[in-house]
Amino acid sequence: MEKRKAQKPPIVMAAKSKNPMGFLKRDWQLYLMLIFPVALVILFNYAAYPGLRIAFMDFKAAKGYKGSEWVGWDIWVKVFKDKDFAVALRNSLIFNLADLVVGFPMPILLALMLNELRYPKFKKVSQTILYLPHFLSWVIVGNVAYSMFREYSGLVNMALMNAGIISKGIPFLTEKNHWAFTYLLMGVWQGMGWGTIIYLAAITGISGELYEAAMIDGAGRWKRMWHITLPGIKGTIVTLLIMNLGRVMGSNLERIKAFDNALVKDYSYQLAVYIYQKGLGGGKLSMSTVVGLFQSVVGLILVLLADRFAKLLGEEGLI
Amino acid sequence: MKKTTLQKSVAVALTGAMVIGALTGCNSNTANNNTETTSKAPETTSQGSKTEETSKAPEETSKSDSSAVAGVDGWEPFAENVTIKIPVYDRGKEGVPPVTDNYWTKWIQENFGDKYNITVQFEAIPRGDVLNAYTLLAVGGNLPTILMEYDYPKLAQWVDDGYLTEYSLDEFAQIAPTYYQRMVDNNQLEYTELNGTTYFALAERPYYNTNYTYITWVRMDWLEQVGYDHVPATRAEYLDAMQKIKDAGICEYPGGGSMISGTAGVDQNYVYRDLDNMTGEEWAMYGDYAIPALSWEPQHKLLQFANEDYNLGITNPEFYSLTAEDATAAFVSGNQYSWSGYISGTMDTLVSFYEQNPDAKLAVAVQSLEEDTEAGTVPAFRSNNPFGMMIGFSSQASEDQIKAAMMYMEWMTLEDNLFTMQWGVEGENFTYGDDGLPVSVANYSGDYTQGFNNSKDYWCVTTEARIAGTIEDVIKAASPVGLPQDFTQDIIDNYYNQVAAAEKGWVIPDCMFARVISSVSEYQQTLLDKYAEYRTQLTTCDPADFEDLYAKYAQEYLDAGYQEIADERLQAYQDGYSSKLEK
Repeated sequence: MEKRKAQKPPIVMAAKSKNPMGFLKRDWQLYLMLIFPVALVILFNYAAYPGLRIAFMDFKAAKGYKGSEWVGWDIWVKVFKDKDFAVALRNSLIFNLADLVVGFPMPILLALMLNELRYPKFKKVSQTILYLPHFLSWVIVGNVAYSMFREYSGLVNMALMNAGIISKGIPFLTEKNHWAFTYLLMGVWQGMGWGTIIYLAAITGISGELYEAAMIDGAGRWKRMWHITLPGIKGTIVTLLIMNLGRVMGSNLERIKAFDNALVKDYSYQLAVYIYQKGLGGGKLSMSTVVGLFQSVVGLILVLLADRFAKLLGEEGLI
Repeated sequence: MKKTTLQKSVAVALTGAMVIGALTGCNSNTANNNTETTSKAPETTSQGSKTEETSKAPEETSKSDSSAVAGVDGWEPFAENVTIKIPVYDRGKEGVPPVTDNYWTKWIQENFGDKYNITVQFEAIPRGDVLNAYTLLAVGGNLPTILMEYDYPKLAQWVDDGYLTEYSLDEFAQIAPTYYQRMVDNNQLEYTELNGTTYFALAERPYYNTNYTYITWVRMDWLEQVGYDHVPATRAEYLDAMQKIKDAGICEYPGGGSMISGTAGVDQNYVYRDLDNMTGEEWAMYGDYAIPALSWEPQHKLLQFANEDYNLGITNPEFYSLTAEDATAAFVSGNQYSWSGYISGTMDTLVSFYEQNPDAKLAVAVQSLEEDTEAGTVPAFRSNNPFGMMIGFSSQASEDQIKAAMMYMEWMTLEDNLFTMQWGVEGENFTYGDDGLPVSVANYSGDYTQGFNNSKDYWCVTTEARIAGTIEDVIKAASPVGLPQDFTQDIIDNYYNQVAAAEKGWVIPDCMFARVISSVSEYQQTLLDKYAEYRTQLTTCDPADFEDLYAKYAQEYLDAGYQEIADERLQAYQDGYSSKLEK
């Protein structure tokens, strides 16, 4: 045993090794395993990049890259002149910002609340129940929403009407402002439980001594939350906020489609729908690529700006 | 030490498995490989199907058409195996075998493919998402060897997008003389060209100027309960009957309804046209069913009626969130007055309907022959195209593949093969009746179960109707069987009334253009989506606001591309690049 130990003092070996690639030889299994995720990232995140050129081509699928003509910025001009694009852009921005305002603080509040729960079993059960909606696809969430909130045959309206609280169904999903409200709240319901995980993990990283010291000093629950827990997870909050800002230009087709109906197109027509209908439905792949690229570029710029801003405020930032 | 070795081996094995798993996922050729390994084709080499597809041995393979004998007698097996891909609709129906791999696809392979060293593969095309499906196939370089669709504008778009290649009618006549001759006999050659180039082969559509296969059933028992002994034929009667059904508490929303889908063919306005005064120009500009004619008077009238139905409480107020399947389910569960569908031997909807409503009585809404002067409508309908499937050959296919596809089309046209595809196996899928004509076995299920509607999505490559003698025999063969009620005679009556309607000039074809109307490809999808939205708003609005809202949406619709389409169509019509309106 001892002999073997003497033979293999890992770190020292590597440092003394004359071979600069010695670390590879030593930990090759780890590197081998690393290949897989790296290959996936390259394959799915970068291998498609050459395809972005179709944003500058009048791309015809059957003719391929070679057969299609280069048209410079023509498609971009066409997209930006398109009234439907303006509507989709406006809706996407408004709804994503609203999502951020309503949806972002919720997991933080929830995490703080969960952290204060005293009975571990109750905490576990609550957490599980809160996580569950995350695992439902939007199609299911949308169907649940429709069964609950239909104007005439929805559970909620029927219950309210039977109780005599309202005389006419509330158009939760058919009047655009009501729809926006329902859409956003269902989004929060679906995502907030899952969102707490990262905050709860950050909270466990806060030293217990701080709480003990605060308790000795007479700090109550609120004070401890405000002065210890929140500052303790501030870095995490900022990081997540920056990442979420990158999604302000994004849009989730599944979610919109699940809640969509013809009466709320004014609001539900967002970039994802634009890309899907005009691009795939209409066979205009160049156009949808332009919009997709535009979304990504703006998302990147927002992330960079937010990062810079966070650093100005003295936070660690993301990059 | 052992432990480390074990860890190492496990790490290596796991990584290997993951990498292989990922690469398998990336392999676009899995389908090919599967089919090839399972296919029993003699001398089919199981690897390198790509190279085989673009086989480069013209001298050897040209055997198949160099023979002076035209048609199947002149065919010889390809020297190297040729793989062809044939599209088949996947309609997501239950109770039918998987569309790309079943007894009948194997039967085709054994009886056609193996004989000529051709591997026949089938490409499932979701029925509700045809354009998308083909776009994705085209992007991946995987277009099927033939592309087929019922809608002319879709084919025109494929030409525009470069999916289709020109083919030679002479070569086609040589390889597929039966098919070709039938095109000649049916005067279809004029439809083979677009922009002066030959792109399309056309399947047969017997009795094309009627819609005898599309039938509307209504709740006759409800009508009888409210004092009707016939199916309402006028608008006034319809409204009266619906109101009575509502008042009697039989059904809350007898009109039912479902959301308007953003696809071609919704809200057809033939009934609402002023046929005496419709000009050829108007007809060319607005008179097709591929794009709803919002802003044209007939559509205005249609929408007015829809608005009226909604505000009278006939339509289900939640129709905009119900799918067509929901509407069918409502009919089956006894919550809707009528239901329409294509007839076939086994009709699941009707079977389920009678299971749920054993005492119900249905009636076929037979084609009316009376003008409804009060409502200002005529019982008109759209004439089908004088052809069934329009078939084009893929620009990504090799010469041999196109030849093989032509052979496939001819083979499917030959009576013996077609008969077996349409009727199945004697004693299993069908039996012979006293009159010597085949009769489908009701609700057959077993090893030889055919695809949806007697495997129509396979034999539609050549025709739209089953071989069965006279039209009455054809209808008898297609009518639903095994139900408490028999509708055959009603469906026959409906056919003859439709023929009579045609004679009165009430069956109107759509204008067909011999050059690409590029604004259609450009704006069609946008307009269909907008129509779904506007239509719903116009249906659900207060009748007092209807006119203002209509004017607003009509203008937006025109601005969104409909005006451009109308202008381009008019130009083509005036330049003589279109069919003409016959009065």
